[in-house]
Amino acid sequence: MKYQINFMETKNQYIPYKMRIANIIEEAPLVQTYRLEFIDEKDADQFTFRAGQFAEYGVFGEGESTFCIASSPTREGYLECTFRSSGRVTKALANCELNDIIGLRGPFGNTFPIEEWYGKNIVFVTGGIALPPLRCVIWNLLDQRDKFGDISIYYGARSVNDLVYKEELEEWKNRGDVKLFLTVDPGGETPDWKGLVGFVPTILEQNPPKSENAVAIVAGPPILIKMGMPILSKNGFDNANIYTTLENRMKCGVGKCGHCTVGKTYVCKDGPVFTYEEVLKMPAEY
Amino acid sequence: MEIKNIKSSDIPAFFNQLIKQGKVVMAPVLKKSGKVFFEQVQSYSQVASDYIQTGFSAKSVVFPKVEVLFSYTKTEEGIELKDSIADIPETIVWGLRPCDGSAFNYMTEFFLRENPDTYYAARKEKTTLIAVSCPKADDACFCTSVDLNPGSTSGSDILLTIMGEDIYVEVMTEKGKAAVENSASLFTVSEEKDKEEFLAKIDVKFSLDEIKEKIKNAYDSAEWKNVSMGCFGCGACAFSCPTCTCFDIQDEGTQNKGQRLRCWDSCGFGLFTKHSSGHNPKTNQTERRRQRLLHKFKYSVENLDIVSCVGCGRCIRVCPAHLNIFENILSVTASSIER
Repeated sequence: MKYQINFMETKNQYIPYKMRIANIIEEAPLVQTYRLEFIDEKDADQFTFRAGQFAEYGVFGEGESTFCIASSPTREGYLECTFRSSGRVTKALANCELNDIIGLRGPFGNTFPIEEWYGKNIVFVTGGIALPPLRCVIWNLLDQRDKFGDISIYYGARSVNDLVYKEELEEWKNRGDVKLFLTVDPGGETPDWKGLVGFVPTILEQNPPKSENAVAIVAGPPILIKMGMPILSKNGFDNANIYTTLENRMKCGVGKCGHCTVGKTYVCKDGPVFTYEEVLKMPAEY
Repeated sequence: MEIKNIKSSDIPAFFNQLIKQGKVVMAPVLKKSGKVFFEQVQSYSQVASDYIQTGFSAKSVVFPKVEVLFSYTKTEEGIELKDSIADIPETIVWGLRPCDGSAFNYMTEFFLRENPDTYYAARKEKTTLIAVSCPKADDACFCTSVDLNPGSTSGSDILLTIMGEDIYVEVMTEKGKAAVENSASLFTVSEEKDKEEFLAKIDVKFSLDEIKEKIKNAYDSAEWKNVSMGCFGCGACAFSCPTCTCFDIQDEGTQNKGQRLRCWDSCGFGLFTKHSSGHNPKTNQTERRRQRLLHKFKYSVENLDIVSCVGCGRCIRVCPAHLNIFENILSVTASSIER
């Protein structure tokens, strides 16, 4: 056969690692963060990932779901994922208890080119439960803060209650070396809300980030990606310096199952990280 | 390549010798419905001889409709996972048509070139393809439009061509050699012969080079709406297709014991691309049919340099809405030049 596979050496990409749920944080209604630790130390030693990659998280008997890795590769010894309970698998996952064993396959996909951003100003634009994929990048940068210029984060959610990582938002707001534009959709504010009110694209237009020596990373529901990237482009950001992470439905994670395609592109293996320049060449199938 | 000859009266002996070697032999079997399907057979007497094309293709031998990826069992120490790769049997597919044989070429490139798929690799390695060229064709056949013909050897380990009482045997691979070796006395050496007069005549519907060029700009064609008008999204085209590779992954069982399965899926299904938020990047049947046809003639050319349609005609025969892939391809590429 043209392609010789050594079955002893080639890792079977469909067999998951076994992970123990080591911590559970309730983030928002139906949204939780799980900290996961490898059961097998050998797996823990082998496993490496970079910011931007994702994994398949599986509950045995229910199936698998796709989320990014929400913790930073600079924090070793564990992985974190943040998910909303919405379908069969995520509901089953949400019902797991501390110390339960779940499956994990990955890491899959490409990564943010963080080394290329040294010395630059970084702008994050995100909404709702799309902060988790960027939280990985944000901590990755903050853990080597001196390598980057200004860091600004535009983040919003439907309501105050729907904001995730509330403690970390507080920490970013107070640390002085991060500019945080925190907003909630009109009507989502509480009487004691001190942040901004308005949709993220509106807030971005009203408080435009400087494009000189800057890169921007947009993550969100598709509507935020489709609205946010043109705003940045209009503000002088080079399309090659605007990044996003697409999150189409996925099953395999390795470019085989066909679910995540955008034209000829497999979001899982060719992405999930794309520049606006690349996205503009693709059909809007995301 | 080795060229041999076998008497058609010796075919049952050759066939039964393959079975005696303990291999699983899949061959076309005539069902009461009048249709022919691949099934595991025990003797040559079960094999259908008069058929144009099998209902399903032979792809399920390397990419089963439902395949166990692994089984899991909860124990006191944790969870045990066991894959089933070691249990995959040596298999011979007998009587597939040359178009189906060439479909294996595409699938091998797709499954193994990048991120090699362990299950496909194991199954393909244990599979020998003995194809039979087509003496007859029907209106749905269009292999000659996708650079193949009723006597293509591409992808097959052996190709048999019926030439009256003689069967012309083209042994293409080491696996093919191994299959004839055990019945060596039944074969004689043959000189190279022209198969043409023993093959079905199939009209060329379009120039593939021209289609490949024109389809580059077909994404926004207004014709997609017309060519998908009747589509129910039933997925029959994808399930019968020898090159459709899309799948779903599902668990079956309880928390304590069960298995993870991969099952055929189709880009024609509305749920295929639906996000958990309810957002769907491919919202209607027009976008889904476009995805299917562009994948065959554009995306797989861009990604793997192969047109992933072999012209077997199954999707045309099974479509309840009578959608016709080669007519559709002609429509969307014709309109794309006018734009």
